[in-house]
Amino acid sequence: MPKYLLSVHSVEGEVGDPLTDEEMQQSWKQIQVLNEEMKSTGAWVFGGALHEPETATVVRMSGGEVLTSDGPFAESKEHLGGFYIIEAEDLDAALAWASKATVAVMKPIEVRPFRDAEA
Amino acid sequence: MRDGDAAAKLDAAEVGRIFREESGRSVAALIGVFGDIDVAEDAVQEAFAVALRKWPGDGLPPNPGGWITTTARNRAIDRLRRESRGRELLSEMAVLSPGNDEPGLPEEVGPMQDDRLRLIFTCCHPALSTQAQVALTLRLLGGLSTKEVASSFLVAEPTMARRLVRAKRKIKAARIPYRVPEAHELPDRLRPVLAVLYLVYNAGLTNPAEPGLCAEAIRLARILATLMPD
Repeated sequence: MPKYLLSVHSVEGEVGDPLTDEEMQQSWKQIQVLNEEMKSTGAWVFGGALHEPETATVVRMSGGEVLTSDGPFAESKEHLGGFYIIEAEDLDAALAWASKATVAVMKPIEVRPFRDAEA
Repeated sequence: MRDGDAAAKLDAAEVGRIFREESGRSVAALIGVFGDIDVAEDAVQEAFAVALRKWPGDGLPPNPGGWITTTARNRAIDRLRRESRGRELLSEMAVLSPGNDEPGLPEEVGPMQDDRLRLIFTCCHPALSTQAQVALTLRLLGGLSTKEVASSFLVAEPTMARRLVRAKRKIKAARIPYRVPEAHELPDRLRPVLAVLYLVYNAGLTNPAEPGLCAEAIRLARILATLMPD
């Protein structure tokens, strides 16, 4: 079954009105419902929310050595807030899950196919 | 022998006209068979090259569209047999009938299921950019060459070629389905299709070099109207 990455995108400083506690509760509850639905239908492979990008550490090869440094890899305003990996028959099925996810998470979702369908 | 006068008048321009009329249906049918746009496109192209050689001498077959589809299908099978990836594809297909071992002697198939509606919705899938939707629709359903599509939209041919390649790669990689949306999805999914037809029509109006695009848009709209469930 083909796999898709549904990534949740947040834009720094573009929070708009901060969510009230009630809205946060509501969103959290919807996410739980969605996760359960993904699991019960077999679409769920993995998923989770990430800490803020400032908590990131990057390792890279430089001059034959592996260097460790602080910070997110990409200095951009947009960052990955969390993701799902799901199994879906085709793009339409993946988009249906993404539509539910964006309603629950209240953030834009990017849908990308995994390269190897059998991976 | 079919009537010789008609055969004599059958020149390249006439075959070209038939190509525009018929290629969309053939491409759509072969995508349905092989599940691969490139395979379908190349095979139909090849079948028309054969038609261009044969028809002026032999005369028009009774069902030119069916002849093209059958010839293209046989060519595609021949080609796939020669490639290892193709052999895998073929082994996955249940459609191989035992009778077509003889390439070059296409047997005309019965009435083809019309897959063009599926193809319209794949080409105009909202996951593709509007530009890509328009280009794919003209190329695959309208039978326009990449060069013709490029000049309709006043871009260079290599630019259009890249755009088409990218769009087809996305259809394949992301698995944009090849099917008519279900009734409850239609209101959303029909909108980009109609927008594409409008853009094609408009491109014909504003680009005096391509007046054929207006007719093409009307033709595609007619096909859509005929094939759509009520």
